[in-house]
Amino acid sequence: MRWKLEVLAALVLVVLLQMHTAGASIELKGPGTIRITERQLALDEVDVGIRGRSPGDLEIMRSSLYNTRITPKPIGHAELVCTYTGGRSRSCNGTYVLPRGKLVVSGQLLFRQFFQLAVVGGTGLYDNVRGTLTVTALGGKARQNLVLFRLVA
Amino acid sequence: MTSSRSLGQRMFAASTALAILVCAGFVVLFVATSSLQRATDRERRSKDVTVATLSLEKLVLDLDSAVRVYLGTRKQRLLAPWREARAKLPARERALKRLVRDDPEETRRVYRISSVIKAYQDDYAEPMIQLAQTIPALVRDPLVAAEGATRAEGLRRRFDGLLALESKRAAANAVAARREKRRALVVGVTGFGASMVLILLFGLYLTRAVARPIREVAGGATRLADGDLSARMSESGPGEVGTLTRAFNAMASSLEQSRNELEEQNERLRKSDQLKSELVSMVAHEFRTPLTSILGFTNVMRRRELDDYDRHQYLVIVEEQARRLAALIDDFLDVQRIEEGQLELKQEFLDVRELLRQEARAFAVQTNRHTLELDLPNEVLPVYADPSRLLQVVGNLISNAIKYSPEGGEVELHGARNGDTIYVGVRDHGVGIATELQDRIFTKFFRGDANARGISGTGLGLALARDIVEAHGGRMGFSSVLNRGSTFWVELPTAETADGALARKEH
Repeated sequence: MRWKLEVLAALVLVVLLQMHTAGASIELKGPGTIRITERQLALDEVDVGIRGRSPGDLEIMRSSLYNTRITPKPIGHAELVCTYTGGRSRSCNGTYVLPRGKLVVSGQLLFRQFFQLAVVGGTGLYDNVRGTLTVTALGGKARQNLVLFRLVA
Repeated sequence: MTSSRSLGQRMFAASTALAILVCAGFVVLFVATSSLQRATDRERRSKDVTVATLSLEKLVLDLDSAVRVYLGTRKQRLLAPWREARAKLPARERALKRLVRDDPEETRRVYRISSVIKAYQDDYAEPMIQLAQTIPALVRDPLVAAEGATRAEGLRRRFDGLLALESKRAAANAVAARREKRRALVVGVTGFGASMVLILLFGLYLTRAVARPIREVAGGATRLADGDLSARMSESGPGEVGTLTRAFNAMASSLEQSRNELEEQNERLRKSDQLKSELVSMVAHEFRTPLTSILGFTNVMRRRELDDYDRHQYLVIVEEQARRLAALIDDFLDVQRIEEGQLELKQEFLDVRELLRQEARAFAVQTNRHTLELDLPNEVLPVYADPSRLLQVVGNLISNAIKYSPEGGEVELHGARNGDTIYVGVRDHGVGIATELQDRIFTKFFRGDANARGISGTGLGLALARDIVEAHGGRMGFSSVLNRGSTFWVELPTAETADGALARKEH
C-alpha cells in the first residue's frame, strides 16, 4: 500500500514539474485565434433597484468551455458579469479560464446571441495580450455558443 | 601483316560506335525535351492553379455577398445564390487541392483557406442566417456586418497570399521554361549538328577504309591491264583490303617477273638468231674457201694433162682443204654436243709437259715467222683428262697465238704446278684484244675485229676450249693489252685431286 502511495506521489511530482516548466516556457508570441465552444451552465439575473429591467440590474453567466476536436470534456470555464446600463445595453466583465491561462474580457453587450468584447489582458500564456472576443450563438439559442478569440500579443 | 582488324570488324565497330553516339545524342535530346515538357507542364499548372483559386475566391465572394444581401433584406429568395454557391464549394475546393497536391506550401495554404471558408459558413454565415430569422434586430447590429467583413477580408488576404505565391511560382516556372526551351533548342541544334558530323565522319571513314583502298586496287588493276606491270599498292589497308592488295602486288610481281624472263628469253632468242645468221654467213664463207680450192684443183686435174708431180701437189692441196672442212664440221658438232650436254670425255692420266711438247713440235713446223718457246718444270704435271680434248684446247690456244701475231715473234708455252692445280699458259706478242671486246671473247661465233684484220676462223675455238676445260673441272682465263699481245691460261686439277673434281661435277 505504501509503495503505491510513493509511486502516485512521484507521478504527481513529475506532472507538476512538467506543468510548471511548460507554463514558464510557453508564451504567446504573435497574433492568433482561439476557437472553442461554450455551454451555458447557469444564467442568473439580479434585479436591483426598480422592479423589472432597469439600469443596475445584473446578469451573471457561467459556462463550460470545450474544444471538441481535442476532447469531449470541458477544457475550462467562463464567468461573465453584466450590468444593465439602459435598454438592452449591458456593460460586461468576464474571465475565460483556459488550460494555459486566463483571458479577461470587457465591453458592451446588446444580444447574448452575438456579441463582441475586448480582450483586455490575461495570465499565463496570455499574459498581457489584447484582442477581441466574438461570441456567436449556435442554433439560434444562447445555450451553446461559438467563442472566438482574435488575439494580438 | 595480318594483325590489323578485318574490314567487317572495323565496319561493325564503327557502326556500333555511331549507333552509341547517336543514341547518346537522342538520350540527351530526350532529356532536354522532357525537361522542356516538365517546364511547360509547370507553367500550365500555374495557370490552372491561378484559375482555380480565382474561381474559388469568386465563389466565396458570391457566398459572402449573398449572406450580406440576405442579412440586409431577410428575404428568403435572396438566399438562393448562397445555397448555390455553397453547393459548388466542395467541388471547387477539391479541384484546387488536387492541383496543388504536389506543392506542400500551397497545399497547406489551400487547406487553411478551406478551413477558413468552412469557419465562415459554420461560425458566421449559418448562425447569422438563423439569428436573422429569430432576432431581426441583431443582424442590424454593425457588429454583425463588421464580423462578416473581417472574415471576408481574412479570406481575401489568404486568397491573395495563395495567388501571390502561385504568381511567384509561375514567374519562376516561366523563367525555368524559357531556360529549358533555350537549352532544348541548343541541345537539339547541337545534337543535330553532332549527328550530322558523326554521319559525315562515318561516311569519311567508310570512304577511307573501304572505298579508297578498293578504288586504289581498281586503279592498280587498270594500270596492270594497260600493261604497267610495275603498278603496286600500299599493303597497309585493313583486313580483307590488305589481303587483296597483297595478293594483287604478288600477282603483279609474278607477272612482271614473267615478263622480264620472257623479254630476256626474247633477247636471247634474238641474239641467237643474229648469231645463227652470222654463223650461216661465216660457215658459207669458211666453207666456200676450201671448197673453191677443191673444186678448182679437181677441175684443173680433170681438164688438163698433168705430170705426176703436179697432180700429187694438187691432190695434197685438195686433201688439206678437205681436212680443213672436216675440222670445221667437227667444231660445229662439238659445239652441238656441248650445248646438248653430250660431250664424252675419255680421261686418263697424262703429263701436261708431254702434251705441250707434242703440240709445240706440231706447230713449230707449220710456221716460219714464229718461235715457240717452252717453259716447263722438271717435275711431272699430272692431270686426269681426255688427251684428244686437251690437245684440242692447247692447239687452239697456240693456233690463236700464231694467227693473232701476224708479224711473227715468240709464242711462249708455260707449264707449272700451283698447289693443287696445273697451270698452262700461252703468251703471244701480237695484236692483243681491245678492252671493250674482252668480256665477249668466250662468246660463241664472236670474232671481234678478226674479220677486219683478215684473220680466218669460226669464233668457236675459245668457247669450245673453255667448255672442255670446265668439263675437266678446271677454269680458263686470259689477260691482254691491245697491240702488245695476250696470255691465255688454263688451270686444271692435278691428277690427285681430279677424281674429287670429277665427283663434284657429276653431282
